[in-house]
Amino acid sequence: MKRWQPVSVLSDIRRGEVAGVRIGGREVVLWREDAPTPTLHAWEDRCPHRGMRLSFGFVRDDALGCLYHGWQFGGGARCRLIPAHPQVRVPASIHVHAYGVREHAGLAWVSMDGAEDFPAGGTGPDNVLPVRTLHVKASVGPLRHAAGIAPDAGIAWHGPVGLAVHEPVAGQAMLHVVRVADADGPSYPALSRWAEQLRDAVESGAGIAPVMNGLIAGEMA
Amino acid sequence: MTARLVLYDWTPDVRCYAVRLGLSLMGMTYEIRAVDTDLPVGQRPAGLRAGERPPVLVAGSVRLSRPGVIMQFIARQPEVARAWLDPAHEWAILDWLDFGTTALDTMAAARDAAFGTTLPVLPPMGALVAALRRMEDHMSARAMEGHDWFAAPAASIADVVLFVVFALTVDLGVERDTCPALRRWARRMRGLPGFVVMPGVPDYA
Repeated sequence: MKRWQPVSVLSDIRRGEVAGVRIGGREVVLWREDAPTPTLHAWEDRCPHRGMRLSFGFVRDDALGCLYHGWQFGGGARCRLIPAHPQVRVPASIHVHAYGVREHAGLAWVSMDGAEDFPAGGTGPDNVLPVRTLHVKASVGPLRHAAGIAPDAGIAWHGPVGLAVHEPVAGQAMLHVVRVADADGPSYPALSRWAEQLRDAVESGAGIAPVMNGLIAGEMA
Repeated sequence: MTARLVLYDWTPDVRCYAVRLGLSLMGMTYEIRAVDTDLPVGQRPAGLRAGERPPVLVAGSVRLSRPGVIMQFIARQPEVARAWLDPAHEWAILDWLDFGTTALDTMAAARDAAFGTTLPVLPPMGALVAALRRMEDHMSARAMEGHDWFAAPAASIADVVLFVVFALTVDLGVERDTCPALRRWARRMRGLPGFVVMPGVPDYA
């Protein structure tokens, strides 16, 4: 099934930053150019030279450099510089595997299987800002159910608050929380604490309903 | 500085790294006496006393072995910037420093168990994972309040010790993507003047 997966809040991948994320057990490097219009990229987290994780690397302007030997990869995921052989014109066959990536609703969405239509299931509200991504030691199924995410939806809206989930590796989940910027409702710190309560409830198998009711009723500290 | 500093040091030890990192970030010069703790006692430096293990910091008549106390000792030297133990945030700094040194001890024991054997075995990680989660929740909240560091407006000795905990748990199988707020904070640590690495802590990432 071709699909888009929410993998990070955008506030965790700002200009010039690089971050490793796991999607269904596969390692992906997210990085954003250090340029006036900084494009976001999602590639396989593996340098084609020696297999080093590119997420240990560094952003130089509009390229990602590998920590190991400094090979630089730019637009199109092609290698553009091998520092040990600076005069060499690098063959086009030396490249990283690139995945589809979109920025929407305060989140980075990645498709590892060439999905085209985006976003699936409507655009949702405008002017959405990221709150936080949390790690949850529980399977995605119970967390999606708790967050009220429909089977074919990427995100569930509860008033001004959006909840999304992805699976870094089997048996674990990442919970992404976003919020409509100018709507009434809980503050960002209150939402962050609420998300910790949801995480703790899902992990401990305690009742989810009181936590979710707190969000829907807007009753949080 | 009244007395020259001598550090009895073992490069791959996490507590020694915390001390080296603190000394470097706070701009102190010191002499290193390398101590290979795998060697028999008779082959260790003469200045190290029986039963002592690195890190040991000697400054004149002062002889310190606990990383948290060494951090405070350095931060209270007259030539060191006050921000490292900011008087206005001293209790918060000392509280996180103590939290960090406890986690550092836990991690040192876990690394000994994981690496100090012919067949490495991953030790129980519950206490360290719980510590990292508390750190992650804290730094998420700090970021929303517009703060960059654990306990004060600038980097403090608490950040130094907590950085070592975060940076080296990756060797014990903790994946970085579970701690996004700590990853962004660690990136700031790497950018501080005087930042130094150890095996397992790359320059970037």
